Amino acid sequence: MRYWEDFSVGEVLEYGSYEVEIEEMVAFARQYDPQPFHLSDAITPDNPDGLLVASGWYTVGLMMRMLADNILSHTVSQGAPGMDRLRWTKPVKAGDRLHMRTTILEKRASRSRPAIGFLTNRHEVLDQDNAIVMWCEGVGMFGRRPAQEAAS
Amino acid sequence: MIFYEDLEVGATKTSGSRPVSADEIIEFARKFDPQPFHLDPVAAERSVFGGLVASGFHTAAVMMSLSVKHGIVDRGFLFSPGFDDMRWLKPVRPGDLLHVKSTCLEKTPSRSRPDIGSVRFKTEVLNQLGDVVMSVINIGIIKLRDPKPA
Repeated sequence: MRYWEDFSVGEVLEYGSYEVEIEEMVAFARQYDPQPFHLSDAITPDNPDGLLVASGWYTVGLMMRMLADNILSHTVSQGAPGMDRLRWTKPVKAGDRLHMRTTILEKRASRSRPAIGFLTNRHEVLDQDNAIVMWCEGVGMFGRRPAQEAAS
Repeated sequence: MIFYEDLEVGATKTSGSRPVSADEIIEFARKFDPQPFHLDPVAAERSVFGGLVASGFHTAAVMMSLSVKHGIVDRGFLFSPGFDDMRWLKPVRPGDLLHVKSTCLEKTPSRSRPDIGSVRFKTEVLNQLGDVVMSVINIGIIKLRDPKPA
């Protein structure tokens, strides 16, 4: 188990691997973001260039999945108040293989809740060419090491 | 189709509403955010939320679906470079009925391309009680109807 105390500012974590499959990518778009260029590569008046790119929100979901599986599952994750800033920097396409790089930017204890601490993180989603397709910065809340364990 | 010129700073658009079921919350969590408080009603009872709650990014995806379905975002929107200041203000729970309110905050013509402009919107997701459950500043790159020659 990794507690808030176990993360240090400046630490860089590289993890995860997710291959973008066309069926899942398009199914997400059909349910949540049905814009023509997320649904089909057919050339139509609505999609004159015949683009088929992932919904940015699907990429957000894949980031969350890699974060949850590789990092949060080994912590006492207490959720997050939000996301300060997120940028989609390169289109994601079917067949891309994505991975994650997370940098711990800041940490501070909670004054009102002694059992948790805050980490400000920068998460980058990279593709098979190590190009950043999306990045974001935000604060997460993590459980602190229980007192009896700290003493032992 | 919405063009850059049609968007008026200060104007607000409101979507219709859409329910969020326990099944949908769990389905989204299983695929994208498998944390106990989004996935497992029993574990969620014991969590800080006291019951099952939607992933914050599920709420964001619902915002997008309502925006597309109700014409807040349409073919005039070419892409989005990202968003700022997303805040999850209240938990979204099974059975909640969500809608979107989007207010145009700021318009900036592109310096390099006379046919597009950037627009910032304050978007709020509200529940059936009128409580804001999420707010965010969305950014859209939008076509001009009448680009001036460069």
